[in-house]
Amino acid sequence: MTDERQSTLRNRLLALLIAGIGGLAATAISFGMAVYAAANPEPVPVVAPGKAIDTGRWIITPERAYSGNTPPTGIPSPDPRTYVMLEFDLENRSAVSSYASTNLISLDPPIPGLKNPVVHLARDSWIASPVHPGMPEKMVIAWEWPAGLSVPRALRVLVGGQFYKRRDNLYGASSWFNGDTVAVVELPVTAEQRPQ
Amino acid sequence: MDVSANPHPRKSYWLSLAALAVVLPVAIVVHSQGELIQWLRAAFRSPTTVEKGASQSYAGADWRLTGLARLPGALPGTTVVLAEYEAAVEDEARLRDSFPCKLALVDDRGRRWKGTFMVDPVVRKMRPDAAQKPHCGTAEASRKGDTIRMAESFVIPQDADGLMLSLALYGGMPDSLLLK
Amino acid sequence: MNGAVRSLTAVIVAAGVLYAMQRSTPLYSDITSPVPVAGRQGERVDTSAFAIGIAKVYLARSITFPSLSRTQHYATSGVWVVVESAVEAKNESLGLTSAEWLGPDGLRYRYSQRLTNVPGMPGNEQFEPGIPRPMLMIFEVPESQIAGARLLVARSPYAPLAEEAWIDMAALSTDDIHPSITLSRGGQQMPWILKVE
Repeated sequence: MTDERQSTLRNRLLALLIAGIGGLAATAISFGMAVYAAANPEPVPVVAPGKAIDTGRWIITPERAYSGNTPPTGIPSPDPRTYVMLEFDLENRSAVSSYASTNLISLDPPIPGLKNPVVHLARDSWIASPVHPGMPEKMVIAWEWPAGLSVPRALRVLVGGQFYKRRDNLYGASSWFNGDTVAVVELPVTAEQRPQ
Repeated sequence: MDVSANPHPRKSYWLSLAALAVVLPVAIVVHSQGELIQWLRAAFRSPTTVEKGASQSYAGADWRLTGLARLPGALPGTTVVLAEYEAAVEDEARLRDSFPCKLALVDDRGRRWKGTFMVDPVVRKMRPDAAQKPHCGTAEASRKGDTIRMAESFVIPQDADGLMLSLALYGGMPDSLLLK
Repeated sequence: MNGAVRSLTAVIVAAGVLYAMQRSTPLYSDITSPVPVAGRQGERVDTSAFAIGIAKVYLARSITFPSLSRTQHYATSGVWVVVESAVEAKNESLGLTSAEWLGPDGLRYRYSQRLTNVPGMPGNEQFEPGIPRPMLMIFEVPESQIAGARLLVARSPYAPLAEEAWIDMAALSTDDIHPSITLSRGGQQMPWILKVE
């Protein structure tokens, strides 16, 4: 009776020990990988204008940048303003019609006091509505340039990625989330009025 | 497992199961911190019915339906109903805090019509005085003793009968009025 | 030895069961998705809050709609699908703000936000109980998503567990695509006027 009891106790201890060591090893490996990934970030590729960039949810092709006094709507504001615009092709790779994500294009370095840019649909010369899956569209993003700043000669933009989670961490719902920068694009800014 | 400690394992098993049936609902009610009880109370409360011509005190004012006129509708088979009602202010602070209103026209089959966003052209033509009256909630804040006269128009089918005006103020909920 | 084999089997079975449970748990998006009410084009489809019937469907390469300031031509890389329907609220007045074209590949096309000014488009009118009213829905879809599609109409895009009409659309051929459709403001009875060119 006592022998049997001792042997089960030893078995249990052994099982506990194996589980503990396994768990510790898993934690250590995962932590090590995270530290390694943080210490050696993958360099963000610099992509030439006119080349397609896969951001996960979108395929975006920045075409050209230009500046002017008329926004892409073609309706000039009563007081003179300067706009810096970037023309790009955008394809929705997700399964539903959706607005261009806010992290899709951002200026690098960020400019203090800059208002949020407005995305336009080139086809309508109007503020963009959702882009439909499988129907690429030409878009124009316009920044209203602060009055005190001179218009840049070149634009360096960061293209932000988006990734899909079948179950998010909060609700277990399926949705898209903003991810890291996937590409950097540098474009010269030409001075002109309207896209052609 | 050492079962020798419990001489009646089967009995205590059933007892525990029975206890679960009691404890689980209690746990849910307690965990909702009174919200469940409040919700149930609101769900089972029926509105106060006010007879024709009578007035009823509610959310800081005395409410009365002064007219429910049927005007010809622009679409075939429809009627425009112009509901005119007034509120004699009793407690101005309470009334001001109770806005906005939820108004609906209810028929005997329980169908509910919301007011039209714009004043119907037929009201403007046939009852220009009523077209001037404010909607519930857009009325200017008044002092005690004042009477606010309001109007709302609804588009309903001609076959709707037994019309009543359902009136609720957010500050007065879950109570509401049903004016005949 | 026999005991070891047995416990190993138990662990594997438990792992398998847990994995199966994890995989088969319905997604939150599925649990809170609208309840579909099936129907077909040409019949009345009854949901708990509203009834809808799809009358006519037109296909076009471009749409013209004169707005206040200028006449706008709306081009598309795909095809415009113009759907004329009738809607009646059941128990209380409501607006319909969600309409989607579900293509045969499972892609969802929201009703076009480029043409929201057109009278009769979703969200522009309040539907009253007992008064059926026309509603216009315009979609922009690729040619491949025309045939074998379903039309999804609901009160709002964010209403968990509310009923949504899922209407099987009659087969449409790409031969039926008109070069252009002109829409203009109509009167009280018919909010829009549609002209095929």
